[in-house]
Amino acid sequence: MSARKGVNLRKTIRMTTLYIVVAGIVLIILTPIFFIVSLSFMSTREAYQYPLPLLPDFTTEFELRISENGYLLSVYNDRTDQYESVQDTVDIDALSYYMQAFLNTLMSEEELQEHIDVLEAKVDAEGQEAVVYFEVTRDILQNYKVFFRITRDAVPALIRSLQVALFTVVISLSIGGMAGYAFARYAFRGRNALRFSVLFVRMFPAVAIAIPMLIILARMGFYDQEIPIGLALVYSVGSIGLTIWITGSIFLGIPVALEEAVQVFGGSRLQAFTRVTLPLAFPGLAASAMYAFLGAWNETVAAIILTEFNPTFAAVVYRTLLGTAGQVNLAAASGMAMAIPAVIFTFFIRKYINQMWGGVTV
Amino acid sequence: MATVSNSKGFQPGTGITTPRGRRALLRAATPYILIAPVIIYYALFWIRPVLKLVGDSFRTTDGSFTISNFQMVIEDPSFWPAILNTAVIVIFSVALEFVFALALAFLINAKFPGSSAFLFIAMIPMALPAVAIAAAWQTGFTAHGWVNSLLIYLGILAEGDKIYYLTGSHFQNLALIILIDAWTVIPSVMIILLAGMQNLPEDVKEAGYVFGGNWWTVTRKITIPMLKATITTAVILRLISAIQIWLIVVVMFGFNRLPVLVERIVYFSDEVSGLYSSYQMAAAYTIIVSALVSIAAIIFLQVSGAFTRAGEELG
Repeated sequence: MSARKGVNLRKTIRMTTLYIVVAGIVLIILTPIFFIVSLSFMSTREAYQYPLPLLPDFTTEFELRISENGYLLSVYNDRTDQYESVQDTVDIDALSYYMQAFLNTLMSEEELQEHIDVLEAKVDAEGQEAVVYFEVTRDILQNYKVFFRITRDAVPALIRSLQVALFTVVISLSIGGMAGYAFARYAFRGRNALRFSVLFVRMFPAVAIAIPMLIILARMGFYDQEIPIGLALVYSVGSIGLTIWITGSIFLGIPVALEEAVQVFGGSRLQAFTRVTLPLAFPGLAASAMYAFLGAWNETVAAIILTEFNPTFAAVVYRTLLGTAGQVNLAAASGMAMAIPAVIFTFFIRKYINQMWGGVTV
Repeated sequence: MATVSNSKGFQPGTGITTPRGRRALLRAATPYILIAPVIIYYALFWIRPVLKLVGDSFRTTDGSFTISNFQMVIEDPSFWPAILNTAVIVIFSVALEFVFALALAFLINAKFPGSSAFLFIAMIPMALPAVAIAAAWQTGFTAHGWVNSLLIYLGILAEGDKIYYLTGSHFQNLALIILIDAWTVIPSVMIILLAGMQNLPEDVKEAGYVFGGNWWTVTRKITIPMLKATITTAVILRLISAIQIWLIVVVMFGFNRLPVLVERIVYFSDEVSGLYSSYQMAAAYTIIVSALVSIAAIIFLQVSGAFTRAGEELG
């Protein structure tokens, strides 16, 4: 009886330790992500507070009073439970600008004028110490809007990144898919050599291709073009290998007997492929396409070297990070804008990422 | 689809007259037709640039043969520091990542309640682009960033105090990069190891327990040795990408402060690309990096016996 109690106790201790460790790891993984998400929604004023607030405010409470210089605008701070003065001016324009640029609160001069009129009336009635309070809802997406507005080429770069990724998918899926099918269905000379070459291609860093490609593409007229075919050609070198690998294992998983059955019933090999194998392989091929898409979307080093006036989105975000060391909330927003599509795509293919390594199940 | 239209080209002038012979030839040719585009693509956009790169690294700006590009690289005051920093980062980050990823894989493979949710969370860093990760850590490690703020909220740091992470000693800076890299990469190493673990036959391990082994001996004598192929794959992929670390270094420290090899390449091909012989420097650096990556990969494959194993499997 006591022996069993000891076992139970030991089991409880073990499970508790396990969950403490798991919780610790989860915290380590999620903390940076939590802060970058939170920071990307913060106003510049919040982003410069130290210590940094954990979460951005969704509304901002203002206090307005008369001062020697004109009007004194203060903002309520949750942490200190006090109003902190932020602007002291007679210029309503400047007040409105400050509210927008540093507090992410949009308030037109007319609206602000209304509050000032109320304040003036109150001052007439109660004297110089009269105060007006008002609350403004935060424009929560302002950092993202500002990032796309002040970074002139952000929107074209975003479109260009999508184009590069799509071209890469088309090139690597058509060329790599064919080879993947050959790997799965045929024994041929040089099969192993080609299989190893897939790994060998990846041994040469992307920069190793990018630097000479600079000149080759320039000669072909593909360097730094609006339509980024040149970049897609470079990205496909890496992604074709991966596509061969993934599609090869997908086609291997579809029984040859199915194709043979079609041929027995009088269909051609091509019909067998398009009518039977392709539909069955479709989900896997889609995953392989998304994988190539992600690779092209995330790639930075070749994008920096091979573009100048027509950068990809990754290159734009990279330059933002190097340039706006002070504007942390903008840096966070640019990083998030880059991450969101990647995370969505990964979410769709996570099953296949696991499968690619031989089927992880939990 | 394209294959079939290609294969029609075999009919005239091939000298094959009987339909059966033609079909047999077509059948024999099909795999080669299917892989031909890959071969052509690799020749045009992989072998050609690589050859050009090798050629250019031995050429002066006016095109005559020289080895002075490599001399310039070696005389670059950042060259040996870059080699050393890269080596330190590679050795420590690969070792650290491997140990933690293996531990994590064992943990998730234990299949406790909630382990699938845990796996999902553990995979999140894999989904993030390098620049987004760089943004997260850049905003964290500035003096008034979220790391210090968090330490204040936890009471570890006194209110208003700051730790200056980015002005630390050389080794602190390296340690910072290694930790960030570990955070980024452990999930993908873990996934590979986990997949390998789940493909191991259960009965072998059970036999180990039947013959009186405990968890530790079974893991050490059975699981790990059987995982060898997977471990090789995981480590080789990591080794290749760890040598190429640069973006996080540049975003955290800027150029030249903590030189690493690929940072040098980007520096010469992007930051000072207008300079005379920048391209030559970048080309020579790239050759050195490619050589190091290949050598490291081949040595590792040789030592771990992957070549002989692959030969058995494929042969």
